[in-house]
Amino acid sequence: MVDAQIQNHPVDCFFNEEAMPSVWCPGCGIGIAVGAFIQALKGSTLDPEMICVVSGFGCTGRIADYLNLRTHAVEDGYVFRRGAQLSDENPGLKVVVCSNNADLLMSGAEDFIEIRRHSPQLTVIHLNNLFFIVTEKGVIPTTPLVRMTDIDFAELPYNIPLMAKACGASLIARWTPFHAGWLRYSIMDALSRQGLSVIEVVSPCLLYHANERRIGDAVERMKFYNDHSIMDTNIPMEYLDIRYYRKIIVGKFLDRV
Amino acid sequence: MNATIHTNIDRCKGCAICVEICQAGVLEISEGVNRNGYRYPQIKDEGACLRCGVCEMLCPDFAIWVISLEEETV
Repeated sequence: MVDAQIQNHPVDCFFNEEAMPSVWCPGCGIGIAVGAFIQALKGSTLDPEMICVVSGFGCTGRIADYLNLRTHAVEDGYVFRRGAQLSDENPGLKVVVCSNNADLLMSGAEDFIEIRRHSPQLTVIHLNNLFFIVTEKGVIPTTPLVRMTDIDFAELPYNIPLMAKACGASLIARWTPFHAGWLRYSIMDALSRQGLSVIEVVSPCLLYHANERRIGDAVERMKFYNDHSIMDTNIPMEYLDIRYYRKIIVGKFLDRV
Repeated sequence: MNATIHTNIDRCKGCAICVEICQAGVLEISEGVNRNGYRYPQIKDEGACLRCGVCEMLCPDFAIWVISLEEETV
């Protein structure tokens, strides 16, 4: 009979079983990104003992708690410094940094800019949620141009792919959680190469954007990603910042071999 | 029958992405709730499964997976 008694997910060996289910909201893109990373790790020929996952603060920092790999959960803003340090001290170790906006652009910005001094073997999976929502409804450097109720914020958002190119990345890609298959192959490509590779996952926070920007909850969110993203890899990197009135450009933008 | 679909209903958080994304209409939302109070997906028509694996790829909670029969027998 085909009813085989397989009770475990094929990638369950990479998870802490007692920590599951996760704390992320239903339909959050962090879970999809972690699933893509785990599937990429399973599909590649790398030894899981030689992978080290570094994550920091907030929802993204919980990634280190759920994985059964070598993990480091460090405090706010020290993610890139710790990742570069680990990569310098252990040659052959593949360091995967799961960063959020605070790690890459606010408290840890200088570490990311200074990363090219170390020339580390880093794979950065950057989860861009566009806002802080859990701590305060703060405007951060990746927030698209928006008029809020209490403050007028008229400042262009940071262009993370261009910044990664200036920091000497060898692979730059941007995907949404809807493009999970492409995301998986980009992570697999990044794990198999030398140098810094930055993969941005645009996954707006469910708590804020479901109600106030009307992007919607889990299922409508997937339709939003499908309708509002366009794959274009030939566009100049100066035009890759995210605005509300134009589509999110996804794709693999830079491939230095 | 092409594949078997397995679910871990206690991990599910009821986001229903797998039900909406399935092109073959294999899954449906259940009437009952799981341990945490979410409505989980249950299998309506397993024979129609196309083995595309999109439900497995887009599940944020690692609660559903598809195993094709060739994979099982080998």
